[in-house]
Amino acid sequence: MLSQINSGFGYWNVLVWIVFFAGISSFVVWIRSLGRMDYKRNTDQDEIYWEGNEVPSDGSAISVPASSSYWGFRVAMEPLYKLLDKFHSGSGSDYAGYFVVTVALVGLLVLIGGK
Amino acid sequence: MTDLIVETTLDTLGNFAYVAVALLILMALYTMLTQKNLIKICVAIAVLGSSVNMFLVLLGYRDGGEIPIYFLKGENASMVLPTPQCLTLTAIVIALATTALMLSFVILLHKHYGTLDIDEIRRLRG
Amino acid sequence: MSIQDHLPALIVMLPLLGAFLTPAVASLGKKIRNIFFVLFSFLILLVALSIGCAVFWGSPMVYVMGGDSFAIALPSGMSYPVRILFEIDAFGALLALCIAIASFAGALFSVAYMDKFSGWKKYLSLYFMLTAGALGMCVTGDLFNFFVFVEISSIASFGLVAFWRDKPEAIEASFKYMLVSQIAAMLLLIAIGTLYGKYNSVTMAALSSMMADGFLERVVLALVLCVLAFKCGAFPMHAWMPDAYAEAPTGVTCLLVTVSQASFYGLIRVCYSIFPKIAAGGVVGWILIVFGCMSMFFGVMMAVVQHEIKRLMGYHSISQVGYMLLALGVGLVAMSDQQNMIAYGFTAMKGGLFHAVNYSMYKALLFLCAGSLYYATGTRNLDKMGGLARNMPWTAGMFVIAAAAISGLPPFNGFVSKWMIYESSFAIHPILPTIAMITSVLTLASFAKVFQAAFLGPAKTGFVAVREAPGFMLAGMAVLTVATLLLTFFPGWFISNIFEKAAGALVDNASYVRAVMGGI
Repeated sequence: MLSQINSGFGYWNVLVWIVFFAGISSFVVWIRSLGRMDYKRNTDQDEIYWEGNEVPSDGSAISVPASSSYWGFRVAMEPLYKLLDKFHSGSGSDYAGYFVVTVALVGLLVLIGGK
Repeated sequence: MTDLIVETTLDTLGNFAYVAVALLILMALYTMLTQKNLIKICVAIAVLGSSVNMFLVLLGYRDGGEIPIYFLKGENASMVLPTPQCLTLTAIVIALATTALMLSFVILLHKHYGTLDIDEIRRLRG
Repeated sequence: MSIQDHLPALIVMLPLLGAFLTPAVASLGKKIRNIFFVLFSFLILLVALSIGCAVFWGSPMVYVMGGDSFAIALPSGMSYPVRILFEIDAFGALLALCIAIASFAGALFSVAYMDKFSGWKKYLSLYFMLTAGALGMCVTGDLFNFFVFVEISSIASFGLVAFWRDKPEAIEASFKYMLVSQIAAMLLLIAIGTLYGKYNSVTMAALSSMMADGFLERVVLALVLCVLAFKCGAFPMHAWMPDAYAEAPTGVTCLLVTVSQASFYGLIRVCYSIFPKIAAGGVVGWILIVFGCMSMFFGVMMAVVQHEIKRLMGYHSISQVGYMLLALGVGLVAMSDQQNMIAYGFTAMKGGLFHAVNYSMYKALLFLCAGSLYYATGTRNLDKMGGLARNMPWTAGMFVIAAAAISGLPPFNGFVSKWMIYESSFAIHPILPTIAMITSVLTLASFAKVFQAAFLGPAKTGFVAVREAPGFMLAGMAVLTVATLLLTFFPGWFISNIFEKAAGALVDNASYVRAVMGGI
């Protein structure tokens, strides 16, 4: 088969998924076609509603910057991120140290670890 | 009994070169991890490279061996191994290239950051 | 004697020739230089393709350098090979093909991307040198030769990462990479020298046939394992990766991704083919699994909070390499037991190799998309971008495909390989696929963030006049998109014709030895 895989536990077929996606998208198109088409173009009905105010012309005034997304995640994981920031210290000799320590650890494990 | 002692001493002396290699490697690693000056770190890397080259040459050495060229070796039948020497030559060339590149990076880093302290060259972190 | 027999030599010779021809060709004018660059890369791709065809549907290729005959590995009654030889089996050919595709795509991309910069001669020379080093790592059958190719690719990548030498960050990234890389290279040389001292040979196949279990062998294995894990960016030694990937010119980053795959090749080759007696079924497999899990999790945790687009993707590279290490580690653990191997080990290996190929295609594509954003907007900071999908529809479209693939959204290829890894690693311990799935979710989260920040939202005033990337850049991205889509739509064909053979070549260590050593 060109597009089917059996893993021994189950199977994957991309064609099934394409059929599924086609079904879902036709459903979406159908829902969209139920919407009202009788609004007046090029009037206020066309405008974005932004709390009754005029929409700023510069997009950066009304968009969330990327470094603010997942703020909550970062705060919740603060202890881990403190550690990780300390780990990525940016100092070359630290990085060399991590390498040497890892070599030593792995060497020890391979030596004492049996077959 | 005395023969045995002499032999063991000679064996130990024969292995002394390997001990020297190990010491050099440890010294280089120690310097690299503790020194903050970029030039010193470069020197440590050069020492590391040289000690590895010494290790390779040692591997091919045979006691009382001659040069591994057929018409130059004389009457002695035993020759040192040529392959490690070829490996060493290649390794030396590579080490030369990296050392030169590394030193030129040090020059550029000094130009950009105005310092040779490795702990101050850390704009990229996190 | 046909050209077919000399393909293994050609695949290294062509990029080297390109590297040294470049200074002459580049002085003939811009147009000739560009044509040369692209055509030569395409030629390398063709050679890699024909090697692939010959190896996937034939037997492993062996090519002896400097002998009377290039086909005889053991001349006149010798018991082990003395010359440098190249040996390509299905696994090596697979990764060589990946490298050649990425090199071609990067070349197409660079033609437009680097157009306004000077220093083309050096750029082209180093680019071909990097390709030669990476391809050489995948085709060589000699450990010392492997070291030489590792160093060729490392030195070329130092030069290319620091290519914009007016940027302090570029020099800094390159220097840090170089520092650790030099220690690693020297340790690798010590390991190879030790093997030579004990077994009197550096030919991989000969070593594999003689290898016993002992103290020295274990030390050597640990050294090689760590060095190559460092080169492919496993967790505690990964810090160079986001730095270097972010600061290199984008066409090079695309190639660097596959160069780390060449190190991955070396790692797996050493574990599976040279040291199977020590590595199979024991602690080494678990070390790979632990490396893999740590890389996956911590890599993606760092990626989620980045706001510089290429750095974010650099951290994702770490987590993606983790999947492959996990899969091949599972294969290694299962290897000592025939029953386990059939039950889940082989699926894990197929999944891991599939993921390696997928990763090199979609990750290279993602980096090219990031480069195209940088080219158009002049910034890599996601905070400043926004609303670019209107101006750059092609880039946005290809980014969506690559991002969906890397996040493992069905029906894309990333899902298929991750699914195989989940199902097989589950048989060892449920915690492994759990970590992998958490990683996958966080990957999706961070790429949703990138897409939202760069392409969606209201247009920003600074970027009203932004235009779509030039044709050559889009062509480079299109090559990788087509590869990703092919892998998506015909996974069954690729698995049964290519990945199964590559995984089989790894498991069947005897055939790797037999190709060189004859019927011993």
